[in-house]
Amino acid sequence: MAAPARALLTELPKGHEFSTTTFSLTRDGVSRYLDAVEDANGVYLERGLAPPLAVAALALGSLLEVIELPAATLHIGQEVDVHAGVPLDTPLTLSGRIAQRSQRAGMIISIIEFDVTPEGSSSAALTGRSTVMVPPP
Amino acid sequence: MIPPEVVPLTKMVSQDQINRYADASGDHNPIHIDEAFAKASPVGGTVAHGMLTLAFLGEMMAAAFGERWLARGKLRVRFRTVVRPGDVITVSARPERGSDDDTHVYAVECRNQAGEAVVSGTAEVPARG
Repeated sequence: MAAPARALLTELPKGHEFSTTTFSLTRDGVSRYLDAVEDANGVYLERGLAPPLAVAALALGSLLEVIELPAATLHIGQEVDVHAGVPLDTPLTLSGRIAQRSQRAGMIISIIEFDVTPEGSSSAALTGRSTVMVPPP
Repeated sequence: MIPPEVVPLTKMVSQDQINRYADASGDHNPIHIDEAFAKASPVGGTVAHGMLTLAFLGEMMAAAFGERWLARGKLRVRFRTVVRPGDVITVSARPERGSDDDTHVYAVECRNQAGEAVVSGTAEVPARG
């Protein structure tokens, strides 16, 4: 299957909505994440809830599959709000958009906003806002 | 209600860890994992994913608050400078003005071995379970 076409971040206007996608955090996937970040806390798997920063990282990773970032792009800010625990092994719907875009002295700053909603829920369990800066070429 | 003290955390970042994080998160941007590419870039060498450094903050808050953090935590941070392989990162939280009976508010930061703030911001967690 062909990879989805990637849009250059710097060309995406404020208000651009990304196509809704689904992903899930399996116990195995979360175990790999916890191994990578070297977090030995058993609370995640005991309670069946994903680490919020894992959800945000994977959500952002999914969005970046359809965004082409210039090589020098810097991640300069991050907000994560958990509204309800994100359950493991549950399909999650991801929606995202360009919430802000500004240009100053050749720099482009974009804020990518995303919501993660578990299957069967009518409201987002986690929302995030990632601020990225593309320096002048 | 006075917010409880949160125990700081210290972690050393290695290239091996960055590589494992790239696999676990799916973020294989060469700036993190390709030394030759990163050396030729403005950052001059590989750097850790910002979200990896934030994971240390998440670990500290989950250790302190357990399910309250997983179900209702909030984090707002700025990345101040890059984290490189070999850096030793100390993560801490200090009770901040704005706490009330419902919410504990902390100023959070990650500092490297030179004492530079690499991440700073605020974290909030419900005061009760």
